[in-house]
Amino acid sequence: MEILYFIVIFLFCLGIYTIISQKNLIKIVIGFTIVESSLILLLILVGYKPGGTAPILDKVYQIVVDPISQALALTSIVIGGSVTAVMLMLVIKIQKRYGTLNIDKIRKLHG
Amino acid sequence: MIDIILYILIIFLALTAFFMVFTKDMLSSIIALPIFGSILVVIFVILQAPSAALAEAVITAGLTTGFFVITINKTEMQND
Amino acid sequence: MIRINEMFKKLYKISLVVLLAIFLLYVFNEIHDLASKSYLSEHYISKGVQETGAINLVTSVLYDYRSFDTLGEATVILTASAILAFLVPLRKVAMHGTKFLIIVHQTMIFIVPYLAVLGSYLILFGHLNPGGGFVGGVVLALIPIVMTITYCIEFSEYKFKPNIKTLLEDLGSICFIILGLFGIVTGSNFLASGQSNLGLGNPGELISGGLILCLNIIIGIKVGAGMAKIFNSLIKGE
Repeated sequence: MEILYFIVIFLFCLGIYTIISQKNLIKIVIGFTIVESSLILLLILVGYKPGGTAPILDKVYQIVVDPISQALALTSIVIGGSVTAVMLMLVIKIQKRYGTLNIDKIRKLHG
Repeated sequence: MIDIILYILIIFLALTAFFMVFTKDMLSSIIALPIFGSILVVIFVILQAPSAALAEAVITAGLTTGFFVITINKTEMQND
Repeated sequence: MIRINEMFKKLYKISLVVLLAIFLLYVFNEIHDLASKSYLSEHYISKGVQETGAINLVTSVLYDYRSFDTLGEATVILTASAILAFLVPLRKVAMHGTKFLIIVHQTMIFIVPYLAVLGSYLILFGHLNPGGGFVGGVVLALIPIVMTITYCIEFSEYKFKPNIKTLLEDLGSICFIILGLFGIVTGSNFLASGQSNLGLGNPGELISGGLILCLNIIIGIKVGAGMAKIFNSLIKGE
């Protein structure tokens, strides 16, 4: 399971690169979504034990994975959805105000 | 057996994320988002986290994609 | 000259990201065996079913041991829907109109009762199965969203009035705090359901687990109303 840590690092760096290099505002919001997904994957990966079962104890099991990090991951998913909605609403407002989505043009228009 | 499935899923996850970032067409970039979420759901089920998998399937792969499509619709309408 | 400058800028960004990746590699090398050292989760796994009465340990962590996190999460959704309602103009704005075939309209008749049953099941059995208030609430919120996409926003707001959705969301937040104060009345802490002497019932039955079932229903109604309001605000925004 150690290879999943490398995919977490890859997704995190790809999202950060998207945020700092792309010009389109919707692409930047997609970058935020990728970073958030990689952090959720990290939270679930930290709590995993090899050979464990899911934390639903209808009878007694020997090895059970960590329930705390899964609860934190569920919290993070729901908050991420509503924060993405607020960001997209701000994108619509910016497009209506300036007439473009390219952030270089928006910067030049402003001053 | 489960390791081979996991490797294939990881390759497709990286490929989908790469496609989502570097493609020029905005609509195909957004349609790749639910595919990304669905692959992540299968990985969560393999890692024994069914609650987080359900939340991911409903919210990231379902609701957030709707938000993005609405935003595309609104911002394309002004350019015409 | 300008091309060389742009290439240098791109190289600068890529090297920044690669440095970040190397730093993260060192960090993950330290924390990759963190799960074997957590004594708190050992206590939750061994004593959680007796103390809270819920079989699903994720639900018992969310609604009993760490209920304050859930209260903060509900506050975030309330704040997001309030911000979106503040940004939307009062007059109506139309989307790109699409004419659907009769197949889509006939499928709506089958899919709406299915979504209602699935959402209610996920909410009510949240302490026995994977699911819970948040997921069930979002599935219930899909009904007005599907109506908005298929017909139009006037029909969706005629079926589910915006004032009623606002009332349900506010009522959910208030009822959550009132149920939390119920723990103080029975002589324990705020939002305590397992420690207060309520009678937990047999683990594995539908009516068990003290306050967890009530909190699930309240959170489900609140999240469903909030998500439907967020989607309608995003459609009405210009």
